[in-house]
Amino acid sequence: MSDFLNLILEPLQDVFHKFKDFAPNFLAMLVILLIGALFAWLLQVLVLKLLDTLQFDSWSDRKGFTRLMRKGDMWGKPTLLVSAVVFWCTLIVVLMTALSALKINAIDQLVTQFFVYLPRAFSSVLILAVGYVFSGFISRAVLIAAVNSGYHYAKLLAEAIRILLTTLILAMVMEQLQIAPGIVLAAFSIICGGIVLALSISFGVGGIDAARRMIERQTAAEEKEKTGEDIEHI
Amino acid sequence: MNSPAFRKDVQEQLEAIGQVDIVVGIPSYNSARTIGHVVRAVQAGLTKYFPGYTAVLINSDGGSSDGTVDVVQNTTIEDFSAILLQHRTEPFYKMAFPYSGIPGKGSAFRAVFEIAAALNAKACAVVDSDLRSITPEWLELLITPILKNDFDYITPLYHRHKFDGTITNSIVYPLTRALYGKRVRQPIGGDFGFSGELAKFYLTKDVWQTDVARFGIDIWMTTTAIANGFKIAQSFLGAKIHDAKDPGADLSDMLYQVVSSTFGLMDGYAEQWMQVQASEPVPSFGFEYSVGLEPVKVNTARMINIFREGIDNLHDIWLSILGAGDLREVERLGALDDRAFRFPIALWTRVIYDYAIAFHQRKMPAEHLIKSLTPLYLGKTASFILEAEHMEAHEAEAEIEKLCLEFESSKSYLITNWK
Repeated sequence: MSDFLNLILEPLQDVFHKFKDFAPNFLAMLVILLIGALFAWLLQVLVLKLLDTLQFDSWSDRKGFTRLMRKGDMWGKPTLLVSAVVFWCTLIVVLMTALSALKINAIDQLVTQFFVYLPRAFSSVLILAVGYVFSGFISRAVLIAAVNSGYHYAKLLAEAIRILLTTLILAMVMEQLQIAPGIVLAAFSIICGGIVLALSISFGVGGIDAARRMIERQTAAEEKEKTGEDIEHI
Repeated sequence: MNSPAFRKDVQEQLEAIGQVDIVVGIPSYNSARTIGHVVRAVQAGLTKYFPGYTAVLINSDGGSSDGTVDVVQNTTIEDFSAILLQHRTEPFYKMAFPYSGIPGKGSAFRAVFEIAAALNAKACAVVDSDLRSITPEWLELLITPILKNDFDYITPLYHRHKFDGTITNSIVYPLTRALYGKRVRQPIGGDFGFSGELAKFYLTKDVWQTDVARFGIDIWMTTTAIANGFKIAQSFLGAKIHDAKDPGADLSDMLYQVVSSTFGLMDGYAEQWMQVQASEPVPSFGFEYSVGLEPVKVNTARMINIFREGIDNLHDIWLSILGAGDLREVERLGALDDRAFRFPIALWTRVIYDYAIAFHQRKMPAEHLIKSLTPLYLGKTASFILEAEHMEAHEAEAEIEKLCLEFESSKSYLITNWK
């Protein structure tokens, strides 16, 4: 009979011992989460005050950051967005730290993977942000230069360059995030190769006459420009 | 010290010279074809008008590969009697060397200022190395008002074709005049006279690692002299004819260089120009005479076409700079027939002020901002050419005067929106 009772009690004792071991970890996780959340909130308030003092909203308006937000359907103030990003980033780090306090193998591995992946995610965001600004800059420079040269399809050209650069940047981001890098590389090569091939065929085969006319017009315009104007602007 | 005036070989020459009354600077870069004439004109001018003054000619070169420096060293007037001049009683020196620093006209001028300061010169002049129309009289007209009339800065007055100098006529002159209140007709003429004191003052300014050293030196010298209360005058030099320009030079690059320098100075001198109301003439020297000018070929259809391309393609950029009201007016111009195309001066004035404000507020990178002005500028230029097609030179000048008055009367718009 006692054997039978032992058979029942032993698992319960095991569960109790395991809970006794686990309870301090769980408590530690709750404490880390609570303090971390408080810290994240405090950091958010501090960042908000600092950005307000630095007049970050007006700076964003001037630099086009606000316009960028509006394009992304974000209608709050830039200071609120930055402080919210700071809050959530801190909270995610706190959550991961808190989870690691549980000392469970599976979670530990997850947390390790998260922290290993973090630099990749960060550099991806950086590539995306810099790439967005860079593609906008180049596309605007092309647009203005093309208009000033009297090129009729300036907007089309600038837009094509912007799309091409955005595609390149997205491929870089996905490669950085290790999302099917082989497929991304292959897709990117196929798209770029396809564009070049399409252009070659359309200009080289399908549009020989059109290309000849365009080149002749351009040459004639340049000749006329060379001989047709000798005004000194300065 | 990273300065040509303190390099060893130059230093030795300066020590040998000691002190001079007049310094004449010629900045150059690959000007072997033309600089010989300029050197002869300078030497003749100094001999004819300043025989009793010690003088030095400085060729501040940007590393020419065509033997410009050799041409300067080897050029001299052997027989003064052929041009009815007496020999000098005081010595005339010549120095030619490559300047140090950022490549550009500003760095070349800096070397001239430093040598003028080191030699304690009373008066200085700078003239371009590609001038074909320079005569010995230019030296007299640029230097005498400084030596004998106590002026500090002399700008040139030229006779130019009514269609030439449109960046000066439609932007730099009206803007400089409205901002600083002095009617300096050629603020970026390129040939200037200035006192030794002003040369020393220029050297106190920390601008030699900026765009001033590259291309903005002309407007910087003029604005610095006016805004700091130096005595200014202008001298009539006749026609300005120079060597054919580099055909590859791009209009929007030129516009960027001139306009960004002018707008940049507005930031630094905002306190001064905000106090100025209206403008006053500056004293003029020289005997004005009519000059036969070469006809200028223009292609207004091409200019208006680029203006219309701007309307079709630069809508978003112009909207952020000009605002909806003025952009609507600009768009209305695009619909006009070529012969009826006219750019109202009030609208043009607001366009320039809006661009100045956008530059001040850093609305976008300076180069994009100012290059996006090119189609508008070409529209304004085409309008002026069509308007002045059958006008005499003085009538075309009267149109420029009207534009200047519009800039002055609308200045409150600029001040109100300048934050």
